[in-house]
Amino acid sequence: MGQVQSEAVDEAQTQSEPQHSSSSPATSMESLLAEAAAYGDDENELTCEKAHVGNSSQRPFLCFLKSTSEEKGSDCVHPFVALQNCIKANPNAFSKDILDEDEDEVKKEEEPPPSPTYKIYPPLWSRGPQSPKSKL
Amino acid sequence: MKNQENKNKNSITCENLPSFLSSFVDTFVDFTVTDGLFLPNTLPQNAPETPPPMAAHYPSPDRLIAIGDLHGDLEKSRQAFRLAGLIDGSDRWTGGSTTVVQVGDVLDRGGEEIKILYLLEKLKREAEKNGGKVFTLHGNHEIMNVEFDFRFVTEKGLKEFENWGFWYGAGNKMKSLCVGLDKPRDLFDGMPLFFKGVDAKYWNGIRSRMAALRPSGPIAERFLSKNVTILVVGESVFVHGGLLKEHVEYGLERINEEVRDWINGLSGSRAPWYCKGRDAVVWLRKFSDDYKKCDCSLLEHALATIPGAKRMIMGHTIQDLGINDVCDGRAIRIDVGMSKGCGDGLPEVLEIFGNKELRVLTSNPLYQNKNKDYLDAYRKEGLVFLKPEQGPRQVEVKT
Repeated sequence: MGQVQSEAVDEAQTQSEPQHSSSSPATSMESLLAEAAAYGDDENELTCEKAHVGNSSQRPFLCFLKSTSEEKGSDCVHPFVALQNCIKANPNAFSKDILDEDEDEVKKEEEPPPSPTYKIYPPLWSRGPQSPKSKL
Repeated sequence: MKNQENKNKNSITCENLPSFLSSFVDTFVDFTVTDGLFLPNTLPQNAPETPPPMAAHYPSPDRLIAIGDLHGDLEKSRQAFRLAGLIDGSDRWTGGSTTVVQVGDVLDRGGEEIKILYLLEKLKREAEKNGGKVFTLHGNHEIMNVEFDFRFVTEKGLKEFENWGFWYGAGNKMKSLCVGLDKPRDLFDGMPLFFKGVDAKYWNGIRSRMAALRPSGPIAERFLSKNVTILVVGESVFVHGGLLKEHVEYGLERINEEVRDWINGLSGSRAPWYCKGRDAVVWLRKFSDDYKKCDCSLLEHALATIPGAKRMIMGHTIQDLGINDVCDGRAIRIDVGMSKGCGDGLPEVLEIFGNKELRVLTSNPLYQNKNKDYLDAYRKEGLVFLKPEQGPRQVEVKT
């Protein structure tokens, strides 16, 4: 796993645009994502050649791009599992809070959110005390 | 020539790289939420602009298999398909040109609802490639879930959606790092943050389920919007609950398209009128309750309004005795309660050859020797029971 991450960090340092990671504390995660997303990340900095170079064995996106199997990507199980494990190991990098931070400014302009007109019937077994320490 | 075109379309350029990234993320999310399934996504530029029409009428195929309610039980779902030789041990389509009709209620009562939706979608594609066809219908539980009625959701089912929500969100995060892609819509946009009276540990699961299944939600749009509500194949009318004359008069294609549009978020949050209440097409029990109570004349009236229709095939009501028919073979009830979340019954499916021959494929060993009694007691005509090990048996029936 370590190999995947360190590799990704190298790449991120040279390729990722700071504007995308400004608000995120999860640098290693960000790096991995940058690796996955690198080829579309910034068209000014990247060239098409970059999509065709590199050892794909541990890089999920490259492996996917190169995949020739009928179910595209089905020959990339190992890099996919590696990416899964990496994301599982850094779940906070994907929490709602972080996603929200990026979008806060945009959201404020779009106020107000539509008032919910729906009724929800939760399962009976889910009834219970609300946590007073909820995110609200 | 065509190869060359395909090659160009599939080769990587600066212009289409973002869509490859998007496709990669989708593939990765699929793989993760299904424990290893690959369900190739259409690249955005290849997607059709207008949804295909929701035809309700199809000609009779040589062989048709009808499958009842599945309710979140993936293993039983597989067994039902295997029983009819439709898939192999790796879940690959082996049904050739067979047509399959699953009469709805994939959701609720079990913990692997998403996995069944993926399996059905995969089989639809594989069947299509082999000249076969897999139709899926809406059951009342699909409609309920799109309306946030989660009373029959299991804890495991909520977990599956929570897990899906995490990975789908992770996928969105990856996509949002790509400049060439539109910023993905926030999965939880407009969803409540808390639920009064509900244990806080379930909030995220409920929100995920709502986000997934609400009109235009990712799971609703990707899977449920492909369901039909009513389907006529040859002489057989398929519907989850039952069909009344007024439904037919309203228009079968119209119903299919309106429900599809609702699921795609084009017509508000409430399901159309014929999906609600005891006389709804997905709720009716008049033809599937206790066999003595079936309202045969009402059924006759409904069937008479559909040219060529000879029988109605329904799920919705568990048949403790297995698949059976009433009203001289005009009503066939195929919900055997196979899900371990309701009944844990032995899988049975209905097989129809052309329009002429109907029989039941059952995994129930009881009927190996007791076919006769069972048939005498509960069938007037038409159905023949068959254990798969006995091999095909030709039986002519009156039509």
